[in-house]
Amino acid sequence: MSQDASYIGKRVQRVDASVKVTGSAVYGVDVELPGMLYGAALRSPYAHASIIAIDTSAAIQSTGVRAVVTGKDFPCLFGDMVRDQPFLAIDRVRFVGDPVAAVAAETEAEALEALEKIRVQYEELPAVFDPREAMAEGAPLIHPDFETYLRTIPASMVPGTNICVTRKFSLGNVEQGFAEADEIFEDTFSAQALSHATMEPHAAVAQYTPLDGRYTVWSASDRPQRLHKELADALGLAHTQIRFIVPYVGGSFGGKNTLRAEAIAVALARFTHGRPVKVVFSREESITATQTRLAAHMKLTTGVKKDGLFTARRAEIVWDNGAYISNAPGVANRGVLTILGPYRIPNLDLVSRLVYTNNETTGSYRGFGTTQVTWACEGQMDIIAAKLGIDPLTIRLKNAYVEGDAYINGQIMRDVRVKETIEKAGAEIGLGTGGPGPSPTRRRGKGIATMLKSTATPTDSFCLVKVDVDGGVTVYSSSSEIGAGEKTIMAQIAADAVGVPLAAVSVPNPDTAITPYDHGVSSSRTTFHMGNCIQQAGRDVRGRLIQFAAGILKTDPARLRISAGNIIEAGTGPRMTLKELLAKKFNGKSGAVFGEGHFTPAGKPVLEAREGLKGISSIFWMFATHAAEVEVDTETGVVKVLKVAAAHDIGRAINPTGCEQQIEGSVVLGVSNTLFEEFKKERGRILNDGFSDYKLATMEDLPKIVSILVEADPDKEALAVAKGIGEPAAAATAPAIANAIYNAVGIRIKDLPITPDKVLAALKRQALDK
Amino acid sequence: MKVSIDIHVNGERYQKEVEAQTTLLEFLRGTLHLTGTKEGCGLGDCGTCIVLLDGKPVNSCLVLAADAGGRKVTTIEGLAVDGKLHPVQQSFIDNSAFQCGFCTPAMILSAKALLDKRPEPTEQEIKQALGGVLCRCGSHQKILAAVQAAGKGEK
Amino acid sequence: MIRLKAFSYYEPASIREASEILTQTNDKAFPLAGGTDLLVRMKRGVIRPAVLVNLKRITGLSGIENENDGGLRIGALATIADIETSPLVRKTHPVLCQAAGVLGSQPLRNLATVGGNIGRASPASDMAPALMVLQARVAAQGRSGSRELEIDHVFAGPGSTTLAAGEIMTSFFLPAMAPATGAAYLKMGRRSGGGDCALVGVAALLTLEKAEPGTARIALSSVGPTPLRAKRAEALILSGKLTEERMRQAARAAAEEAAPITDMRCSASYRKEIIEVLTYRALQEAKQKAQGGKAA
Repeated sequence: MSQDASYIGKRVQRVDASVKVTGSAVYGVDVELPGMLYGAALRSPYAHASIIAIDTSAAIQSTGVRAVVTGKDFPCLFGDMVRDQPFLAIDRVRFVGDPVAAVAAETEAEALEALEKIRVQYEELPAVFDPREAMAEGAPLIHPDFETYLRTIPASMVPGTNICVTRKFSLGNVEQGFAEADEIFEDTFSAQALSHATMEPHAAVAQYTPLDGRYTVWSASDRPQRLHKELADALGLAHTQIRFIVPYVGGSFGGKNTLRAEAIAVALARFTHGRPVKVVFSREESITATQTRLAAHMKLTTGVKKDGLFTARRAEIVWDNGAYISNAPGVANRGVLTILGPYRIPNLDLVSRLVYTNNETTGSYRGFGTTQVTWACEGQMDIIAAKLGIDPLTIRLKNAYVEGDAYINGQIMRDVRVKETIEKAGAEIGLGTGGPGPSPTRRRGKGIATMLKSTATPTDSFCLVKVDVDGGVTVYSSSSEIGAGEKTIMAQIAADAVGVPLAAVSVPNPDTAITPYDHGVSSSRTTFHMGNCIQQAGRDVRGRLIQFAAGILKTDPARLRISAGNIIEAGTGPRMTLKELLAKKFNGKSGAVFGEGHFTPAGKPVLEAREGLKGISSIFWMFATHAAEVEVDTETGVVKVLKVAAAHDIGRAINPTGCEQQIEGSVVLGVSNTLFEEFKKERGRILNDGFSDYKLATMEDLPKIVSILVEADPDKEALAVAKGIGEPAAAATAPAIANAIYNAVGIRIKDLPITPDKVLAALKRQALDK
Repeated sequence: MKVSIDIHVNGERYQKEVEAQTTLLEFLRGTLHLTGTKEGCGLGDCGTCIVLLDGKPVNSCLVLAADAGGRKVTTIEGLAVDGKLHPVQQSFIDNSAFQCGFCTPAMILSAKALLDKRPEPTEQEIKQALGGVLCRCGSHQKILAAVQAAGKGEK
Repeated sequence: MIRLKAFSYYEPASIREASEILTQTNDKAFPLAGGTDLLVRMKRGVIRPAVLVNLKRITGLSGIENENDGGLRIGALATIADIETSPLVRKTHPVLCQAAGVLGSQPLRNLATVGGNIGRASPASDMAPALMVLQARVAAQGRSGSRELEIDHVFAGPGSTTLAAGEIMTSFFLPAMAPATGAAYLKMGRRSGGGDCALVGVAALLTLEKAEPGTARIALSSVGPTPLRAKRAEALILSGKLTEERMRQAARAAAEEAAPITDMRCSASYRKEIIEVLTYRALQEAKQKAQGGKAA
């Protein structure tokens, strides 16, 4: 059936615009309820310690206090993959910032005051912060009871160590591949832990109703349905006893997908006799006690022929999981399986080890492992190119995947436009052109980096689309608006699928008691998965409306279509408006018509792969290339990014402006991650726990960003070929910058971030070597 | 210790008693329920709490409500007049200059203050004026375009 | 979120009154000017004042005026933004605008005051090096009367000044800049913009007499317990012709006489490298300005 495309592919204005420019959008931190109390958590000053005793007696007596809770009062464990994390520490703390007790009081100040009156007696235990040390036998064991934890993934501890998840993958014969190589390169790269640093700190309000034992949680999360399940599982409650209501989300980037402020608020709410409890993390807590990107140590050994073709790669990655398992296993596994980049490498030997440490818990961070592995893969690519005397563009084009190539599991990849992204980004930046810089101490260079990413497959999205009596359309979806334009995309697709003006569509925020299950806004999956789901539901309801219309108009439904809210008959033209149709249908009274959607790629032939490896197939493959121009101050080591050209194979842009927002945002994030961000620590304590010293790029660091959208054949249906854009854009900026620095001054930094002192030290070493 | 204040917020006069330690930000959000002004750090680093104090952008988390007594405060809620958006707000919409929206009120107020002072600012002036507000979504390039367009009076 | 703890709050109308409250309550009372540093340290739990004395209701402490033929009197409560954007300061002592323009973010500069910046005695002060090379004199008033002291004598250590209890800075006097004088303030932070806390800040001032240096002053911040003058570097500049080589030597000397520390922001050794680079660049810029040319 041909589809109206009034909105899909258009630069429509965002549907959340007016609430956001007027300050009326309600975020997690803005939720206020009658009788609401304020909660706060006392946190461990030690990275690893046993809790001997907690004395809360003075806190209970403190002014305004209504509840004081410790782990012993609420001894539940949560965790989506491995249930290893207490709501409040029970007998042991595992990182600086682990919550040990919580207070609910009439005001925030009273809660904070009472926290100071809690006395905790600790016995410090040996701690380990470097995953490479934590994986050794004899390291302090952080979870001696690991084997007793419930789990939903294959995770098992290597005995005597802190290695909790190991993933190995082999393809072909690596030794033979190395034997065929003309050159073998061995390099070690590292990527640092990073704070998601959402502008909205983590916040939640929880309410418990003692009579029926239900919890309602207001939580600005990117995957409310899965938090819902995580909480129900942790508390042993039925699905219907939990409800998550999602306000606007002030940024997530993978950082708001588990129970953080929610855990504290829920534990407190259990004891406040029905009064809701609001917990807003301080910035310090958001930085030090939520979750971070996984730090990764990556060793790459790559065999190459003289002409630049790869023969083999061995990769070993050690990932820092931190104190508890969030979704780091997913990140580690996906990361290691994309450390080959978008390149044909016939022989592979990949090993990933995820290791508990006494650092802050880690997990998904925009890119889901690709930001770390792309750093290594693309850094080594330029090392190889330089040694072989091949230019960075050519060596990438030589090895890049093409349409119909098999991924490492044998899945035949479709819609592969990686070469186009390399060519377009390279051309926009003018790779290989340009002068040395404006002065001998300010030198310029250009670099390129490319990447691939899969999306979690298969995952499910459900939705409902309702048409009201006046022709208004409501989309019930659990996809949160985290800022990436989810609502706008959903509204565009719904408007086209039903055949109504965009202004007639509304997309309320998720509420897990009302909006159906969705896997979550993650893995760059929403546009494709929820998009197809909404299209299905929209067409479903349109089919019903056409049936009604055919009955009323006494015509063949095949002759009818709906466009811009009008019922149109082939050859006749508009017959009636949707509003007139529904007034007739409901006899002048009110009513509603629903359409249902359920989308899953499960079972699609395109996912076929070798035996036992279908689980790493992807319903679409994302490719992106970034090219950067930088200026290096050779006296101070300061790097300024002047321009980034970012070409993305997005299949089809449902909203090109939205795609640009994602790309520009990722480039700024990439610049910030690469040049400014890292944790400074002392015995596990993060010293730079505020934005005064955990630096984010500001408007003054903004390079010129050119977004290039590489699309499929325009004849193809948009939602058949659309890919994700949220994550791939985050991975390629860092190595593109590093490669540009190499091009400018001939030094290579392999450990992120690229700080001025490292650059200056490398320049000095280079001068000594000459 | 309670302090009496007499303050104008968005053109309305308020006479209230506040605790001395109440910041202007807490007063706006907690007492007046003007939650468009955000608290992203409370330490003057993120800029999401920016309001206009006698027309100048300031971090309201670092101003005591008592200290703001007798002065005029404009928050994001006070920009639109009779339901008509301020040109900077309109320009942010037209240029898609926001994503999650959490920093948007502060960005808009900072831009308004700049344009009131310099109707056609240079790119560098815009970057400096808005450099005090962090935006993790990275909407900067579109925000820059929105402020430039608003300055030129473009629709 | 963090909340301020309770304190008593006063809004005295005169310096005498303020001084009395501050003296009576002793070290538990803090004067409140812009608040951008004080309130942060209170929220962070670094200090816990029992009393805040808001000085901003005292009139006459925020003006910027000409005094004594090209000299300038700046009220201690003038905001950093007032100074940055003052046409008068830009005309007579532009280096102070330069320093003001890189202190914190613009909204913070609308609150922060020059008196607060100096009174805080942060080793990383941005205003101090510029005021030092301009040989500013600080007027202070306490219960026992008023006095004036040289800016170089204000800092006693990190976070402490030589002011007596209850003594309040009221203004800064900047003597007129001699003809053929140029000055510059350069700062290195972590990011492109000026907003960051200085990793290193360098102010340099040169007065040329018949094309050779008659006066040279160099002041550094973030390189020791207090902002400090690089006297050996200054002496080197005055020891002969103002050649490239001499400026390089002076820059090296400045790096040598500074005693920076390693902290979470950067290492002592990197700071030393940057002192040298920025001192040289500040001297270059000061020289160009003194010659009436354009700064690089």
